[in-house]
Amino acid sequence: MKEIKFTKENVRLNVQADDWKDAIHQGVALLEHNGFVTDKYAFHIIRNIDEYGPYIVISPGIAIPHARPEDGAIDIGVSLITLKQSISFPNMETPVRVLISFAAQDNDQHLNIIKLIVKIIEDGLIQKIADISSIQKLNDLIGGDE
Amino acid sequence: MLQILVVCGAGLGSSFACQMSVESVLKDLNVEAKVDHSDIASAAGTSADIIISGKNFEEQFSRYDLSQDLIFLERLVDKEEIKEKLTPVLQEKGEL
Repeated sequence: MKEIKFTKENVRLNVQADDWKDAIHQGVALLEHNGFVTDKYAFHIIRNIDEYGPYIVISPGIAIPHARPEDGAIDIGVSLITLKQSISFPNMETPVRVLISFAAQDNDQHLNIIKLIVKIIEDGLIQKIADISSIQKLNDLIGGDE
Repeated sequence: MLQILVVCGAGLGSSFACQMSVESVLKDLNVEAKVDHSDIASAAGTSADIIISGKNFEEQFSRYDLSQDLIFLERLVDKEEIKEKLTPVLQEKGEL
């Protein structure tokens, strides 16, 4: 599961974000830095949310910024950021402090990333991740090293 | 076999995660169904029996004039909400 190993290359903890768009830009910047997406990817995510609403907020406290493969995805990849202060998305009251951004090349290949996200939600780990203080602890918590 | 399509904006993240929760609920209910996920633009031509999507897509779907049963969720990965809203539809279809 190479695509879900969390390291200092794809994780930023306790980030200051001005609003939901800034938070998306910061999470996606890590994907771009690692060569998983082009500089157009964040634009497409934001445009989709403007058009369809915040479909990336799949459970209270967590957003999973992503767009279509043709929107600038280069390779399967993931990043995780936690926010110092929670942000809200339009038409969505629940505040978000954890953003797991990812890129995928088709509808199915990134199964492991989705499985991890579902596991985090079903195991009730979102608040613990929001408050986590180191990448080592993050990997210990969710088993991303395995 | 019963076909269920889960829909989100991009068709590969939120809908995929929701699909897993739906499959898990179906397993609990002991109902066999084929579950898939797609983006909203592809959903208009689907032959699925039931469509599940986020609340934020309700208005969009109302423009499509679809004959399927539509279920809209507040939380895409909430098995309790999925079970609560899916059960009456499955009963109506004679699957439960």
